[in-house]
Amino acid sequence: MSGWRGPARPLLLLLGTAAALFAASRALRRIDAVEVEGASMAPSLLPGDRLLVESWTYARRAPRAGEVVLVTDPRSPSRELIKRVAAVDGRHLDLRGDAPASSTDSRHFGRLPVAAVRWRVALRYWPPRRFGGLPAARPSEPLDLEPLGGEPACTAFEALIAGGEQG
Amino acid sequence: MLTLRTLLRPSRRVHAHCDIPCGVYDPEQARIEAESCLRIIEKYETSDDKVFRARCLHVKEERAELVKHHLDVLWHDYFKPEHLDKFPDLHETFWKATKQASKVKQTVDAGAARELLSMIDRIDEMWKATGGPEKTRVNGRPG
Repeated sequence: MSGWRGPARPLLLLLGTAAALFAASRALRRIDAVEVEGASMAPSLLPGDRLLVESWTYARRAPRAGEVVLVTDPRSPSRELIKRVAAVDGRHLDLRGDAPASSTDSRHFGRLPVAAVRWRVALRYWPPRRFGGLPAARPSEPLDLEPLGGEPACTAFEALIAGGEQG
Repeated sequence: MLTLRTLLRPSRRVHAHCDIPCGVYDPEQARIEAESCLRIIEKYETSDDKVFRARCLHVKEERAELVKHHLDVLWHDYFKPEHLDKFPDLHETFWKATKQASKVKQTVDAGAARELLSMIDRIDEMWKATGGPEKTRVNGRPG
């Protein structure tokens, strides 16, 4: 209990408030966490990557070229796709995977109305060694990605999430 | 208890989706759907059965939509920029053919459906001239 009275108290309060705000935002569907399946966004996103997505940006403005978005699959409405906005043409979006040779996107299902997009990808939080924002455009050269399971760079964070019930 | 783990648990999976890029293309796929449209229009014209005629319209619109889909796949996925050098009218041809497919979708005009068939045949010529049968069909196109 000494932590509550000692110098760590403001820090704990801050962390608690941040966690509560985050939980509330998720409950209100302003923020959400999703997992990537499929490889059409490689090398920017790989299967198993976990992302934070947010819905306030597109409540205010239209998506812009370069942004990575979630959109309902127009050919299979129970499924949600993740693609990059290649171009915005008036009220329509042209979507592409970052790996165009192995992506099903606007070349197949056509352009989609701006209103079809609600969620913008904010950052990747998993795996921790690739934590952070995404490149603002499709990488023109394939990145020389190290194989999965390379050296751990954030073991504490990793353990905190993967390890279970310490919190 | 609220943990970081529950806080960050993904709510769902999102798909960086790819249909399997099989590399098999053939204008025949579009042609068969277009032939269906023509035959359906002919049956529509000779029938007095209201229900049958309604079904004809419904199925014809589906088939015409498939024509557009198959032509789009050929246009976007099979044909490459280098093919444009050989066929400078490639975009124009596809644009007109898909527009024609829209016309077949909207009308019961047998002439429009025949015109669509000849446009697909033109695309078939370009597909053959660019090595389509050998490159995209398994063991070449069946005779």
